[in-house]
Amino acid sequence: MKRTIIGQTALAVMMASTASAATVLDVVAWKGNEAEPAGMPELIEKFESENPDIDVELTFVARKDVDKVIPPRLQAGTPPDVTMVDGKLVALWGGAGLLDDLGTSTEWYNNLIPSVRDIVTLDDKALSYPLEVIGMGNFVNMDLLAKVGIDKAPVTIDALKASCSALAAAGISPMIFAGGFPAMLFVGANGIDPKGISPTEYSSGDRQFVGDDNFNRTFDLVRELVGAECFDPKLQAGLDPWATAPQEFKAGNVAILPQGAWNIGQFNDVEGLNYQFAPMPSVHTDYGLALDLVGPGWAIPKDAAHKEAAAKWIEFFSREENLNVFLKAEGAYSPYQGGKATMPDLATPYTDARAKGSLILWPFSTQEFPSALQSEWEDSITGFLLNIDAANEKTLQRWDDVIEDNL
Amino acid sequence: MRRRNSLYIFTIPALLVLALFFIHPVLLTLDMSFTSYKGIGEAKDVGWRNYDRIFSRERYYSEIWLTLWYTVIVVTALTILGLFFAAMLHRLPLIRNFARAALYTPAMMSFVVVGYVWQFLYSPLNGGINVALRDLGLGALEQNWLGDPALAIYSVAFTQIWMFTGFTCAIFLAGFAGIPEEINEAGRLEGANSWQRFRYLELPLLGPAITVSVTLTTIGTLRTFELPFILTKGGPDGATRLLSIEIIDNLFGQYKFGFASALSIIMLIIVLTVAFVQNKILRDREDVS
Amino acid sequence: MSDLTQTLPQVKSGPDWVLIRKRTRSFIAHAFVLTLVAIMLLPLFYMVMMSFKTSTEIAQDPLGLPESLYWGNYMAALSSMGYVRSVLNSIGITISVIVVVVLTGAMAAYPLARMNNRISKTIVMVMALGLATPNFVTITPIYVIFRDLGLLDSYLGIVLAFAALKLPLAVFFYTGFIAAIPMDLEEAAKLDNCNSWQIFWHVIRPLLAPVTATLSLFIMIMVWNDFIYPLLLLTDKSKLTVMIAVYKFVGNTGIDPTKLFPAAVLGSLPLLIMFVAFQRKIMAGATAGAVK
Repeated sequence: MKRTIIGQTALAVMMASTASAATVLDVVAWKGNEAEPAGMPELIEKFESENPDIDVELTFVARKDVDKVIPPRLQAGTPPDVTMVDGKLVALWGGAGLLDDLGTSTEWYNNLIPSVRDIVTLDDKALSYPLEVIGMGNFVNMDLLAKVGIDKAPVTIDALKASCSALAAAGISPMIFAGGFPAMLFVGANGIDPKGISPTEYSSGDRQFVGDDNFNRTFDLVRELVGAECFDPKLQAGLDPWATAPQEFKAGNVAILPQGAWNIGQFNDVEGLNYQFAPMPSVHTDYGLALDLVGPGWAIPKDAAHKEAAAKWIEFFSREENLNVFLKAEGAYSPYQGGKATMPDLATPYTDARAKGSLILWPFSTQEFPSALQSEWEDSITGFLLNIDAANEKTLQRWDDVIEDNL
Repeated sequence: MRRRNSLYIFTIPALLVLALFFIHPVLLTLDMSFTSYKGIGEAKDVGWRNYDRIFSRERYYSEIWLTLWYTVIVVTALTILGLFFAAMLHRLPLIRNFARAALYTPAMMSFVVVGYVWQFLYSPLNGGINVALRDLGLGALEQNWLGDPALAIYSVAFTQIWMFTGFTCAIFLAGFAGIPEEINEAGRLEGANSWQRFRYLELPLLGPAITVSVTLTTIGTLRTFELPFILTKGGPDGATRLLSIEIIDNLFGQYKFGFASALSIIMLIIVLTVAFVQNKILRDREDVS
Repeated sequence: MSDLTQTLPQVKSGPDWVLIRKRTRSFIAHAFVLTLVAIMLLPLFYMVMMSFKTSTEIAQDPLGLPESLYWGNYMAALSSMGYVRSVLNSIGITISVIVVVVLTGAMAAYPLARMNNRISKTIVMVMALGLATPNFVTITPIYVIFRDLGLLDSYLGIVLAFAALKLPLAVFFYTGFIAAIPMDLEEAAKLDNCNSWQIFWHVIRPLLAPVTATLSLFIMIMVWNDFIYPLLLLTDKSKLTVMIAVYKFVGNTGIDPTKLFPAAVLGSLPLLIMFVAFQRKIMAGATAGAVK
């Protein structure tokens, strides 16, 4: 009995693999798994029905494992046909000459938002087809705010402080501010002036963080938030911004969670969670500052076996109706000019700020800030929260040291 | 004696594998440690610069000390707990197999799962441990388990110990299984109690098991990065930044393969030194007993 | 046997205090150890409970039992895991690796343990080096070797890769324990004119049964839980292991316990069953070997 079942499974598997003698397109991505489906099942089905001679085989490799699994394949000359890349990988793999030029004369390339175009362009070659820019800001539990008579997600520092005080007075935990990520969003939104100093001035060593007015004021603002009882700074270090913090928000234990819009999908699965996605309160604007993270894109490795099919895959995504399926599932914005908004209504505050131009691209995703600085921000902001009476320059000096190390 | 030498033929497959998969990569690492290699593309020679940097910064020394301290805690606890459970289970054949399997289940889960389970147990707001303390009326003992820099390293170590107690227990049980029953029998007839039999009859005979267990847990713990990475990522503010975390961060956070290779070589030297010294002490001890 | 003869005469005469005290003590010892084991299992129980909860329940009442066993999490996990197939792959790969590693490891360790000279000591030290090799550097060389041997995307390739990675552990493990086996057993066999191979197979191997059992269990969990090598060496979906299926439930930017934990339970359950079955079988073999 057992043997027949195994035999049948084997037979079924063999039949499945022999039935279609088509081209198998080997796609590697860190989206399209159960945690972040990104509309991929639907898109693959559509692509395959349009291209009956191509079988898409999507392999999920988490972003951190891409660094282990893909470089050996790239270097050994047996890479996937299409692979997902982000800004870091474009610079690294593209810089080593392992990615194909997708052509700079295509319609999509010329339609890209200029600063995104810069990221994917290396030596006049377009090395990646960008898929999305994705928002980062505050998730705000509107039911909890309503309990203290507030009906609008706070988008200014004053409104944020007022909300915090009211919530704390009502015994509701106002905000999560873990140094590993949520606090970084606040620090970035207040330290970087969208119309002022460019982030590259700091990372090129032309300007120092120590003594910089914007960043110094930012840390004073964090102290003000603590004063308004937004959060207990020492407690934040024990929260994992990626696991336990979102769980607290989902359960309605905390009113405000700074995080990325990629959480919209899983937050929508929680019944009765009434929330909005709002831009980060910032001294630089009255609308709140939208922080857009430049997301991943598709690239074709130099030694890909099925380049023609791979080109069709990219062409397929470059059609707006297909890209929008991806964007909608992701909770993301189009990286192309005039891209239609697919965001749900609950993100209206964020979308509004964007529309008003109150927006920066997150400098860690555009490579304007080096990734070494990102680890240092995580560490040093946590350190600051553990001891908020320490002088600002103690934190800022650490950033300058890292920049100097990486020049 | 000549016939004995023919036995070496048995080792050839193992040596081949070793040369191909271990010695060759170690030489590659050594080579890379003198470059500014980024993991892909061309490697530029930088001489001793990577090592210079390691030895000129206090940061790396303190990470090495932290790694050693963490290893001492974990290995000591694992050895004592493993011995304790194995000695007890050796005397309780009725539940031995069940308990061995049960104690071993934590090690059967992958690091990712164990890491996140404990993340939820340690969470300062509604984490399992703090809520349990609150419910038991011990609210005063609530801690910010992973967020307090003085406490975090012990919380991480505790999880590691929890995960691998079954591992050392299993090794020691294998050691116990090799002790001839007559020896204990004799001890019992002479009126030795359980503790005396353990201390004077069994413990000396467990020498090889102790050597194997201590060496394996030491090497494993010195190199471990999975649990600290998931639980704290080396935080808060570097309080749990083990050498292995530093390596991972340089490799995959910043693509500094060259520098990470230099750190790996240092780590390799530490591991080998510790393993060598330990082995010497433990084997001498075996010989004496 | 001696226990029995000692206590026999006393059984007839009234309440036997020695026996009663012995039984009580034995009962307390059992209860004590079982309690400790239960405490050790609490976190796993907590995980299983979480896997049955809805998102809201997890953070609102972390310690409470789920209101009802919510099978939705499991259904969602099962439907997308390709469960049966991937479990069969994992079992096949794991068992093959154990067989290869145990055989080659014990064979290599035997002479190393018996020849107590400089060469063998050096080799054992080099084995320890193998245990300490940083993993990240082995990835590219292994990939290139397997590509050149045409072993990519094959069961044989993945089995050999895992076997190679675990071999130093096995050699180290066996060398330690073989050294503890008294030489006189071998001397007797040698007098009977057995050759080295016969001595190894008929005298040493049976005595190693408990060690082999323990080692096999270690290899079993390491191979079962590793997902980097399957990701690297296998591309055909139908060959992938069950941990790859679990792995798909971990996000890039965090995890959702209602998704990850059911998948994790499903992924580890076959391993637990295999472990228990294996333990029983091997232990039976071990006692049989001891009797001989």
